[in-house]
Amino acid sequence: MRTIMLEIKDLHVAVDGKEILKGLTLNIAAGQVHAIMGPNGSGKSTLSYVLAGRAGYDITSGTIRYNGENLAEMKPEDRAAKGVFLAMQYPVEIPGVTTLTFLKTALNAQRRARGEKEFDAMSVLKLVRGKAASLKVTEEMLKRALNVGFSGGEKKRLEILQMSLFEPKLAILDETDSGLDIDALKLVAEGVNTLRSPERAMLVITHYQRLLDYIVPDRIHVLAKGRIVAEGGKELAHELEAKGYEHIVGKAA
Amino acid sequence: MNANAHWLDARRAEAANRFAALGVPHRRVEDWKYSDLKSAIDGANDDAAAQWSLAALPDGVESFDLAQADAPDWVRKHFGTLPQNAMASASFAQARSGVALRVTKAAAAVRLAFAEAGSARGLVVLEDGASLTLCEDFETVGFTNIGVEIVVGANAQLTHIRMALLSDAVQVEEYAVRIARGGVYRAHLFNGGAKLSRAEFQIALAGENASAQLSGVSVLGDGAHADVTTHVVHAVGHTTSTQLFKHVAGGKSRAVYQGRVTVEQGADKSDSRQTAKALLMGERAEADLKPELEIFADDVKCAHGAAVGDLDDASLFYLRARGIPEAEARNMLVRAFLEEAVDEIADEALRETVWASVEAALPKAMLP
Repeated sequence: MRTIMLEIKDLHVAVDGKEILKGLTLNIAAGQVHAIMGPNGSGKSTLSYVLAGRAGYDITSGTIRYNGENLAEMKPEDRAAKGVFLAMQYPVEIPGVTTLTFLKTALNAQRRARGEKEFDAMSVLKLVRGKAASLKVTEEMLKRALNVGFSGGEKKRLEILQMSLFEPKLAILDETDSGLDIDALKLVAEGVNTLRSPERAMLVITHYQRLLDYIVPDRIHVLAKGRIVAEGGKELAHELEAKGYEHIVGKAA
Repeated sequence: MNANAHWLDARRAEAANRFAALGVPHRRVEDWKYSDLKSAIDGANDDAAAQWSLAALPDGVESFDLAQADAPDWVRKHFGTLPQNAMASASFAQARSGVALRVTKAAAAVRLAFAEAGSARGLVVLEDGASLTLCEDFETVGFTNIGVEIVVGANAQLTHIRMALLSDAVQVEEYAVRIARGGVYRAHLFNGGAKLSRAEFQIALAGENASAQLSGVSVLGDGAHADVTTHVVHAVGHTTSTQLFKHVAGGKSRAVYQGRVTVEQGADKSDSRQTAKALLMGERAEADLKPELEIFADDVKCAHGAAVGDLDDASLFYLRARGIPEAEARNMLVRAFLEEAVDEIADEALRETVWASVEAALPKAMLP
């Protein structure tokens, strides 16, 4: 029996007073990759934001436990230090902060919070360079302001670079495939696959089956109208692709 | 100053008349809506003389003490010739203290400081092809009214770093600048705030290829006020002006930017850009940003924008979600916001001097 890393029980979440998640239950064990698929408006991004701790996503009932701790009570930065990482669908552009400075600040903030020794600038640069090449993150990108003027593919590659740098225990990928062409998608998937490990859990959120051809999940959950309406193995992705969400969502209703 | 000089008496009398007609500005005067000078000074003594001091002058720069008689020709030619608003008229009519500088070639930096309370005048003349960096700072108290005329000759270049650290003073400055053909005037303003601080620039781009590049930051903590008011006139074509002002306002503070750009008839191919932004750190802080364009020419490129807001939630969340604690994340974002304007200073040592003042003022300015 594997240890459950993330345990979501009957989770209800409201945004601006409107209920988006309506009783979501989900368990992910260490070493597993789970996928959440669902049509637009099903609550996929809400789930990713509530796990990362974004303000404005109110848990009205239910619980989220992460390695036995109450995740909902933690600040976003504390979650990050404890190993929760969200690769965002829309990485934010931050003018005036260079990418490398940001990476160093974030990495050291996490290490400081865990009581680990901070890295000096040279060590961070070495570490980043070592990981950047395979993701085609160039020196020039590292010198530029964070995500400013980056293409969609560059932004997503930088998200995966961060993931590989921070070595999270629980990685949530929110529509990492959106806006990527097939080459960029393969590159990103390869980056994610390298990070699969028995100690790490991943939650891959996507609208399309395509990404799951490259990041093959252990389990797929179908989210619709704020609830999990179907679950299955990796073959469920193909069934969804062939028959559409309506078919499965309709059956569940 | 120049007790027996008729030319000066005449110019002073004109200024006195102008001031008598206009009076001390108050908040019902449109240009002074956000800075009520009359109630701020409340009977302060106009007759006092603010003091000035100059560091050792580099090669190519000469000075003249405006309190002395027998002004040289270059002083007589320019002193009191540029446009004067109400407070500039007051300082010109009343000041018995002041200094004039003349630059005749490419010169190193000059440091000019004004101190104490009262009126003072300055005159800076760059002859054709000359260049200078002027670092101006203040240690004023009470009520100070300082008027400075700046004449930038053909193909001359002036970099003007004007630093006003936090004070309890009421400080009004009027800069009248005239830039000849091919001349460049770069100004950077640092405002730490005062009881009331008003720096007003009246800039004439008077010859083709003249350029004015203005930038600045106001970093204001509780109780501070800083008003930057500019009027750039593109009097002839093929002239450019840029303005970038950033303000961070915390506590109960007030940041003001009023920027008017006028492109006169026939001043075609003029290029003007104007941006003012403010970050408010709490409910009690206020920013009044008012960019204005008056265009009387047909073929011009003008852009202006202003934005007031608080720190972007999405950016803050992104940084925190990557492990950066909230206070540190806020700091990063505010610094990045201000840095864009400070980066307009090309010289690294000057930029670092200004940045050190930003750092010193920030902790207070970031409190709500």
